[in-house]
Amino acid sequence: MMEAVALIAVAVFLFTYALIIDERIHRAVAAMLGAAIVVFVGIVPWEALLEHVDFGTIFLLIGMMIIVNTARGSGLFEYIAIRTAKLAGGSPIRVLVLFAIVTAIVSAFLDNVTTVLLLTPMLLYVARVMNLNPIPFLVTEIFASNIGGAATLIGDPPNIMIASSAGLTFNEFIIHLGPIMIVDMAILLLMMYVIYGRSMRVSPDERQEMVRTLNGLDERAAITDRSLFNKSVAVIAFVVLLFFVHDRIGEILHVVLPFVDPAMGLEPAQVALIGAAILLFWSRQSPEEIFEKIEWPALFFFGGLFVIVGALVETGIISSIAAVMIENVGSTGEAMFIVTWFAAIASAIVDNIPLTAAMIPLIHDLGATMDVYPLWWSLALGACLGGNGTAIGASANVVVIGIAEREGIGITFIDFLKVGMLVLFVTVAVGFGMLWLKFAM
Amino acid sequence: MGYSSSLIQRKFKDIVGRRYDSVLKDYSEFLLTDEEMLVPEVRTILVPLDLFVHDITDEAIDVLSAYDATISLAYITDAEVIELLEQALDRESTEEFRTKKEEYGRKLLERTAARLEEHGFSTQTRMFVGHKGDDVVRMAKNHDMVALCRRYADGESTDASVSPIVLRICQRVETPALIY
Repeated sequence: MMEAVALIAVAVFLFTYALIIDERIHRAVAAMLGAAIVVFVGIVPWEALLEHVDFGTIFLLIGMMIIVNTARGSGLFEYIAIRTAKLAGGSPIRVLVLFAIVTAIVSAFLDNVTTVLLLTPMLLYVARVMNLNPIPFLVTEIFASNIGGAATLIGDPPNIMIASSAGLTFNEFIIHLGPIMIVDMAILLLMMYVIYGRSMRVSPDERQEMVRTLNGLDERAAITDRSLFNKSVAVIAFVVLLFFVHDRIGEILHVVLPFVDPAMGLEPAQVALIGAAILLFWSRQSPEEIFEKIEWPALFFFGGLFVIVGALVETGIISSIAAVMIENVGSTGEAMFIVTWFAAIASAIVDNIPLTAAMIPLIHDLGATMDVYPLWWSLALGACLGGNGTAIGASANVVVIGIAEREGIGITFIDFLKVGMLVLFVTVAVGFGMLWLKFAM
Repeated sequence: MGYSSSLIQRKFKDIVGRRYDSVLKDYSEFLLTDEEMLVPEVRTILVPLDLFVHDITDEAIDVLSAYDATISLAYITDAEVIELLEQALDRESTEEFRTKKEEYGRKLLERTAARLEEHGFSTQTRMFVGHKGDDVVRMAKNHDMVALCRRYADGESTDASVSPIVLRICQRVETPALIY
């Protein structure tokens, strides 16, 4: 009997992941269907379902979606895009570097999809003004978004899932992954310069034309609601600040409010929802309109994945895989190597969100016999940077390549794969080396 | 469309939904389209002058300098005014008026041409008696653009309104018109 349910759980898992890769059926629907099957046949009972669905991840995503969608209405992102383009002063290399840095920083604190969705049209416009092939700028933007997103707890969905499940703090991500991502960004920019630098030369006339066209853009005109703009910037700054102190907020509050328990901490999801509530209250935006913009399909996609992976946990599949790993892995360093590279390569194929959902319970199970703390960082590193490997490895890739195709710019799967795999191997190798030095030496 | 391309489009649709359309709509309010980005080919620009146009502003010269064009300056004396004067005054007085007007027109044309040439324009000048509206519309057909002073054919009013003749010319010409 146990074998039958295990087989069903595995079959549902593989079938759902195949549907997610192929996407002929909406990923949210595929995940919900898979979840429905394992619930219907009793593999995941109601009580277990509530345990497997990671509400920390879902509420954090909801909070950040509310903040981002409210801020979007002010023209904040368009303002950032125009300012960045103007700062480049007509130099293609500076456009590439500045957009990559801005994309990485914004992606580190807000979601990657919104970041690239709002910066890509501006990048395409700048490339058109410069009369240059936009592909180098677009692929650099993708890599920068994935690298920047990997630096913080809130930057990329895999990190949100890992932090919520493992109870890691915002500052731990900054400490362990921040320096790696700074080094990886520098390496990425160097690589992009070596690969594309030659094709980015423009004549002085073209440069002057670009400066004149871009100077004609008024970033202030992009701000559609000055009051909302100011409030959005203030609330985003407050939320980021709160993330930095979320695990020791009690200590800080206790100084001014003695009744607050100094041991109290806030979960990242609480921080995001507090920020969302403040922005909605302060900005007086219509909650109906903002809630309509919440990406409900993405949330149901996450929910479905948690249940499908929960079925593997309930049937003992995950613990069996963990047992095999424990038997064959001799040291923490070896486990870090396997987790990092497996996550990186599998992320490039499957998409890093479902991959992370499946890996999290496995690492929890490994915790029975080894210190898994370094493995969380290995997973975060591999899953986030593995997304750079293929055109479907991460959502940011799909968004940028999808926009490019709609604008008549073809980035083929193979073209992306050639550069993406190179970036994947170099950045993951550097990141793994730095983690190795920290945890395995 | 190959498999990978349709795969990307399917994933794009599922991840982004309708958000991209609203982003494009927001951007379209301040980014130029491909068509708008093309600078139209302008080889000749007609600049009508008269008694009320004393100069071409620096801002207008800045805009005109975006085109590598020859400027045709045309000083037009209103034929109806000359006719009325001929009816009201004797022949000698009318001739004296016409001579003084021509003298003023010539000096204005020379001064304006010299100023434009300082900015690197090549110029042509022309002076005639005619209709300030109809003749400009007729001449504009042989030019790629017409640049009109807001005071042209108006008077010495001090407010910033645009002369009715200028507005009428703008309604009738097929070439792009610049009002300075």
